[in-house]
Amino acid sequence: MKLTKFLAGAFIGSILLSACSDDDDFTGEIDEPLGTYDNGILVLNEGGIGTVTYISEDLQTSEQAIYQAVNSGDDIGAYAQSIFFDDDLAYIISNGSNLITVVNRYTFELVGKVDSGLNVPRYGVVENGKAYVTNQADFSTNEDDYVAVINLQSLEVEQTVVIGNAVEFIEEEDGLLYIQNATYGTGNYISVFNPTTNQVENTLTTADQLNSFEIEDGIIYALSANSIQRYHINSLEMISAVDFSFGTQENPLSAANLDIEDDQIYFTVGTSVYRMGINAEEAPEEAVLTYNSNSAYGVMYGFEVEDNRIYIADGGDFGSDSFVEVYDLQGNLLNNITVGVGPNGFYFND
Amino acid sequence: MKHFIRYILFFWVLNSAFSQTDSITVLEEVLVIPTKLKEFSTGQTLTSLQDSLLLQNKPSLISALNFNTPIYFKENGLGMVASPSFRGTNASQTAVLWNGININSRFNGQTDFNTINTGSYDAINIRGGGGSVIYGTGAIGGTVHLTNEVDFKKQFKNRVYIGYGSFDTYDLRYQLSAADKNWSTKISFSRNQSDNDFEYIDADRKNLNGAFYNNSLNAVFGYQFHKNNTLKFYSEVFESERHFSLIRPSENRTKYEDVSLKNLLEWEVSGKKITSIARVAYLKEEYKYFPNIETESFTFGAANTVIGKYDFSYKFSKKIKLNAILSHEYTDGEGSSIPQNERNISSGALLLKHLVNEKWAYEIAARKELTNDYESPLLFSFGTGYSFTDFYKLKLNVSKNFRIPTYNDLYWATGGNPDLAAEEAMQYELGNEFLFSNFKITLTGYYNDIKQMINWVPGSSGYWTPKNIDEVATYGAEFLLNYKKQFDRHLFAVNGTYAYTVSENKITKKQLIYVPYHKVTGSIYYAFQDLFIETQALYNGEVFTRSDNNSNYNLDAYWLWNAGLGYHISKNFTLGGKVRNLLNSDYQNVEDRRMPGTNYTIYLTLNF
Repeated sequence: MKLTKFLAGAFIGSILLSACSDDDDFTGEIDEPLGTYDNGILVLNEGGIGTVTYISEDLQTSEQAIYQAVNSGDDIGAYAQSIFFDDDLAYIISNGSNLITVVNRYTFELVGKVDSGLNVPRYGVVENGKAYVTNQADFSTNEDDYVAVINLQSLEVEQTVVIGNAVEFIEEEDGLLYIQNATYGTGNYISVFNPTTNQVENTLTTADQLNSFEIEDGIIYALSANSIQRYHINSLEMISAVDFSFGTQENPLSAANLDIEDDQIYFTVGTSVYRMGINAEEAPEEAVLTYNSNSAYGVMYGFEVEDNRIYIADGGDFGSDSFVEVYDLQGNLLNNITVGVGPNGFYFND
Repeated sequence: MKHFIRYILFFWVLNSAFSQTDSITVLEEVLVIPTKLKEFSTGQTLTSLQDSLLLQNKPSLISALNFNTPIYFKENGLGMVASPSFRGTNASQTAVLWNGININSRFNGQTDFNTINTGSYDAINIRGGGGSVIYGTGAIGGTVHLTNEVDFKKQFKNRVYIGYGSFDTYDLRYQLSAADKNWSTKISFSRNQSDNDFEYIDADRKNLNGAFYNNSLNAVFGYQFHKNNTLKFYSEVFESERHFSLIRPSENRTKYEDVSLKNLLEWEVSGKKITSIARVAYLKEEYKYFPNIETESFTFGAANTVIGKYDFSYKFSKKIKLNAILSHEYTDGEGSSIPQNERNISSGALLLKHLVNEKWAYEIAARKELTNDYESPLLFSFGTGYSFTDFYKLKLNVSKNFRIPTYNDLYWATGGNPDLAAEEAMQYELGNEFLFSNFKITLTGYYNDIKQMINWVPGSSGYWTPKNIDEVATYGAEFLLNYKKQFDRHLFAVNGTYAYTVSENKITKKQLIYVPYHKVTGSIYYAFQDLFIETQALYNGEVFTRSDNNSNYNLDAYWLWNAGLGYHISKNFTLGGKVRNLLNSDYQNVEDRRMPGTNYTIYLTLNF
């Protein structure tokens, strides 16, 4: 433990030094780092106690538990769920501690915390100076699931809006908020929430077992266990759908982790990544890549496609440090990097 | 409280008619050890904590055992859920017996050592190693025996213990013992409560939402029709409410309620050659967990268990005894996530004890269970002891033991696996016992090979499911030391334990988390005339908290010291005080669960 403390101390020292020089030398050039953790990838590890791993853009160096290191041992709470951003600020959600830790996304220095009014917070988004964060509340019922409206100046929850259905991902598009009403493989709705009235204006019914959704150029792409569907964002009418039948009849596999990047739809099935054109009418047959995992539950625990790279996080055994893998778009492994316990998401400081 | 005082005064007055000349020196006692345990522990080592010693510890079972045995404990914060690791095994591999009845939860197979108030018992006996042949499921790491004694010796005694300590902690224990030639009764009431709002060491924070209380009412009745025909009834009601301590102030405040009821009727008839004991037990366990105390919603589990047991022994001679035990257990349980299920388990066991001569004894035993709910192996044990000299005895024990799948394992609504088999453990131990002048030293080496260990793993359907997949080898050494010397008006006693424990997952070759390689306990007691002082020490070695044994996340080793001082003001009054965690160690035995620094208790004991 003493050694870790020493290392942490040395680490903080190095950050302070580099932070100073950054400030002095800042010239406004685009590539000039805005902090120690600029120009790199942030991996959120849910924990136990959540941590954030920083990986440099070239994938050659990484640093564990950067928040703890910068903020003298303080931590971001139990079961870190997700991060959302607003300009230079990162809002790190801990669902086990009902906590949002606000940091500068480039230096990871603590700015403030939202520590009341939350109840199992999951995902958030910022719109018009306020944060909207989904909360699962009591696990035994979906009736009390709500959206917390947070004043970003005071970091207080100023209003809670009960949705009356499960709440999970939240995404902003043209001033409206789209909330996924499906968790843990059950549910098939997306609610359209108007932040000016704080009311659900409309509800989209998707195929069963909705896993994730994304909005791109006026179309809502909804990924369910066995299909992907496209809907008009205004009329909520279905445009088209592509059915999947992955796995075998005895052991069907579900699709998960939708990500649309450069007019390609990416998703995962088991340990494989699949890709199809954004308008494709047929399901892809060949996987882009397949990786090795010993973790049944933590397979593809985090997934992202960004700047011509595919990022995969493996949950491991949830009792020890796990790994992430980065591939190019052809499916060639670029690197395998050790991160923290239960990595579940990638965020990019570029 | 007013009534309580009046009640005490009432007995106080009554008492003068029955005044006794009992010794008040705490260590001069006959050890209370159940007959079966005494007879059938060949090749194993027993530790006995008598009630005088229990009074010097906090009332929870974890406090009584932590400073006096090699068992390692995980406690989720002071007073919170506490589970043992005995000889490197897990929480469901230590069986807790209440007057011979296995009381490990039918839901998770464990006993929460903070839901037993030791104020009700005459002794707690601890035996390391296997014991499933007699004591059933979970007797792998060892067994803990909560013992009430029925004594047909004319007496009328009351004992009141009142303790008050830091964090507004109350510890009240009352016991009435009344008996005559042919009847006997003992009634105990214990209450323990605490605000448990200690300040964290070196942090500007308090322990939040940690308040708890528990009440335990225990009654024992015995009636002797004649010397060889006795009826005994034991009963206990335990009720507690614990708010679970928060790690961070923003977390939801939770609480947990436990209610348990234990009853046992025992009828013993003995002759010259035979002893026949019929038992009927009824156990009830019930818990409610409130995940957010702001709301009314809770999850629960409730189980009723009826056990019928017939125990027959036949003495072929003074040296050979054969013992047959037949039992049937019926459980009816359900919970928020467990559909109502009934379970029947029948078992038969045969035991033979042979005292070959003054130096040599052995025992051999086997047990088989019949049930439809899981696969159960044939269990056996062999134990022997040989005294080479007056001061040296060698002991050997080999046994096969098991831990049966629990209600949670079998019937949990999402993931419960009806195809589970029992965990099986092949166990070997070799003990050396040295006795000279006032010393007793025991050195035991053991090896346990545990197979088909049930572990909840992620299943293909997206939820966790238990499987018989883990294999663990636990091995190590235990060293026990007792020293007692009495001279003039001095009494000096020393007890010490050291355990070296390896608990290795045989597939990953890693030490199991929360099993320290080293644990040391020690206590010294010194009395001179009416004054006594005592000190206790505990060392827990570093433990891993990550399954890959990444040492960056280890919990540090720590030392705890306690010291107490007491004075027998008169034959009936003892006044004392105790300081715990003298070094103000900032320690944790579960990650992020802070524990209190230096804290104090004062107490008064009245015997009348």
